[in-house]
Amino acid sequence: MRSILCLVVLAGVMFGEATLSAQQRTKETVARDLEELARVASVMVDGDVCERIMTPRALQKMFAVDPNDRWAGSDNFDVNHEPYVQTKKLLIRLAKLVAYPVDCNLWMPFQQDPKKIQILVRNRHEMSQFWTWGVLFQDQTPEMTEVMATGEPKTIVQKSDFVSVLTPVINSLGDRVGLVEVVTRLHLNPQQHVK
Amino acid sequence: MIQKSLFIASLAFSLLNHRALFALDLDAYPEYLRPGPDGNAVSADRSTTDPRGNLFTRSKAIQLRAARNGYVSFFVVVKHSGETPYSLSLHFDRKPASLQPQLFKTWYHKLRRKGSLIPDALIPVGNPFSSKLPDPDNKVAGQTAQSFWVDFWIPSDTVPGLHEGWADVSTKTKRVRLRFQILVLQSVIPTADALTIDHNSYGTGWLESLYPKQSRSAGDGFFRSDALFDLIHAYHRIFYEHRGTFHQLGYGHAGKVGPEFAPELTGEGRHRRIASWELFDRHYGALLDGSAFRESRRGAQPIPFVYLPINPEWPANFLNWGEPGYEAEFVSAVSAMEKHFLEKGWTRTKFEMFFNHKKRYKGFHWDGDETRFAHDDPPLLEYGRLLKKAVPSGSPVQFVFRHDASWRLEQQFKSLAGIVNFWVCSRAILSWLPEQLKAVKQRGDIVWIYSGAPSIAFPSSAILENPLRAWMWNLDGYIHWLTVSPSADPWFNSEGEETCLAYSGERFGIDGPIPSIRLKIQRNFAQDVALLKMLETRQSGEALREEVSRRINGSRLKDWWTPRPALADLPPEDWSNNSIEGGIEPYLHVFKNWDPQYWEAVREHILNLAEGGLTR
Repeated sequence: MRSILCLVVLAGVMFGEATLSAQQRTKETVARDLEELARVASVMVDGDVCERIMTPRALQKMFAVDPNDRWAGSDNFDVNHEPYVQTKKLLIRLAKLVAYPVDCNLWMPFQQDPKKIQILVRNRHEMSQFWTWGVLFQDQTPEMTEVMATGEPKTIVQKSDFVSVLTPVINSLGDRVGLVEVVTRLHLNPQQHVK
Repeated sequence: MIQKSLFIASLAFSLLNHRALFALDLDAYPEYLRPGPDGNAVSADRSTTDPRGNLFTRSKAIQLRAARNGYVSFFVVVKHSGETPYSLSLHFDRKPASLQPQLFKTWYHKLRRKGSLIPDALIPVGNPFSSKLPDPDNKVAGQTAQSFWVDFWIPSDTVPGLHEGWADVSTKTKRVRLRFQILVLQSVIPTADALTIDHNSYGTGWLESLYPKQSRSAGDGFFRSDALFDLIHAYHRIFYEHRGTFHQLGYGHAGKVGPEFAPELTGEGRHRRIASWELFDRHYGALLDGSAFRESRRGAQPIPFVYLPINPEWPANFLNWGEPGYEAEFVSAVSAMEKHFLEKGWTRTKFEMFFNHKKRYKGFHWDGDETRFAHDDPPLLEYGRLLKKAVPSGSPVQFVFRHDASWRLEQQFKSLAGIVNFWVCSRAILSWLPEQLKAVKQRGDIVWIYSGAPSIAFPSSAILENPLRAWMWNLDGYIHWLTVSPSADPWFNSEGEETCLAYSGERFGIDGPIPSIRLKIQRNFAQDVALLKMLETRQSGEALREEVSRRINGSRLKDWWTPRPALADLPPEDWSNNSIEGGIEPYLHVFKNWDPQYWEAVREHILNLAEGGLTR
């Protein structure tokens, strides 16, 4: 683990643009930082661990439709603490490689319905270009589907001043099992999602 | 021929005059009977036994009884069928310096689903007040009546006895008067609340959208501006003045803290410390020393409760969770908070460590709010340990550990005993735990229940159900989960305003919130409960509750609880919302078929008791 962390720290040295001031940052310079960070994330995030985060019971209940209990999926949502914390801490460390606020979010699709995906780990700046606030799961965007299919990271600058890079998460079998969204905004909104 | 013409002209004049005579009128309704824009009471509020209420002692004369140190309220209604300007005023015969009416014009909200018009928002207006019908702003087609909520504040030093005056409405050609009598009683309503009625909210982003003029004028710096803090204080004030409290949660489900809610931190690990109190003190200083309420009739009191920004990502970095650095960061920052609060003399407020996050929002691995799974209890125990380490025992600063509990309430009453000392409970689940509640109260814990406000389409007295239940159960408080979030267009396309008890006044040129009818009704109820609390010095609280229950609908106090259902023996993760509801449904009859004006009779009973009358 210690050697892996050293690798992350070394990777951080590569990010020359990360020292630009907020006023100097543009979508292009930020995208370069995030793309480099995403490359490291794809190497570092362990797909097998990510696959162990959801409890089987919660996965099973997630799609159960109960017309009399609209919160059934949410109320049964549960995770295994150890893989969750391990993954979240790694994502937090990755985000620290850039000198300005960045979140690394974990997105995981479902075997039961590959067109759907859930954000599974969010972080302290509560930024995402794709998450519809509060939903348990949602449709994959075309960009997500593309990254999952090709394995090639993709930079997205569609919404407002968001810059995101989607990059695949790979397990020990070489399967692409999830995505990391490396995301920031040119202008932070300190009040957004404080609720 | 001339005679005939004169006769017809005379008849026409008489008829016109007669029409004019009845075109202008002044009416009055009790507080639970909201008058609609046609002059008739809203159907949801009408009682089968007394459809117009019982204010009138004779034609054009009403009487209200009022204890001192409180408000007494009613509706006055201007009725007019033509588009003529009118002027309304209320005044006493002999001017008592202290007894002054406050007038609020009601707003008729058009409901999106039914299209019906329901009054709720109350716009403060002057006395006298001039306008015309239909109201130019409310734009109700065919409006023939405008109602006003009238508040009389009765100071504690008011001379008991009858205080009389007139409500007076006039047009250019007509004048109509209504006699009002306020019978001021000897009794004085205690200033202290018997029950905390709390109004919750989240963050400050909503202030920017509800007050676009103010936020625009403050520009990019709105969230650090005096305008922001003035607005926050105004919300605290409006709820305080209505015998309630106000909470604003300052962080998100993944731990993002609004800068206006927390001291600024610097350093990591053993170097973590507080860098600046600037925004925190501007936000909370006037609330915690009470000076924000200096002008209030209730006096300058510190807020009784406040959320702290503590969450799994603040003041310690989650990255360090489970490691020595987490404890170092947490203890250093929370200890510094305790010292700062002590230096400032903020010792009368309960500072709540409260975890609102739910794992369904994907920020953390455990549920801080409404814990459902047993493996989520250990983090709560750990935070209890950390808080005890950070705050010196015996500190006059009151840190409390609040937990909002539902699924695992019964288990957590035991497993978190001595850790959590402030419980905000699901009313459904607490309903089958009266014995467990006794034990929790005996160890000195604070216990509230939570729910939400009723839609404006419901009877206006529905706002009382939850606080009344809290009083019946002898709890410390009740919280409306969200109270400052109106519909996208509350004025002309209302969705019922279940999450709004105070509206933005900006539309009406007011730089702050304006109250609602439901908030006023709730305040007057809180006064009654304060009187009941006072009466507990004369007779047992249980006897008082028993009698109030009987007067509501003939029920017994025990009927307010439900037997422990079979599902309570199953693991909570096997329950569903349906099974909980199903478990208590057979016993909910006590809450059904209440007369919309039931509390009027109960209030009369309370006032009689307060004046030394008998229980029955």
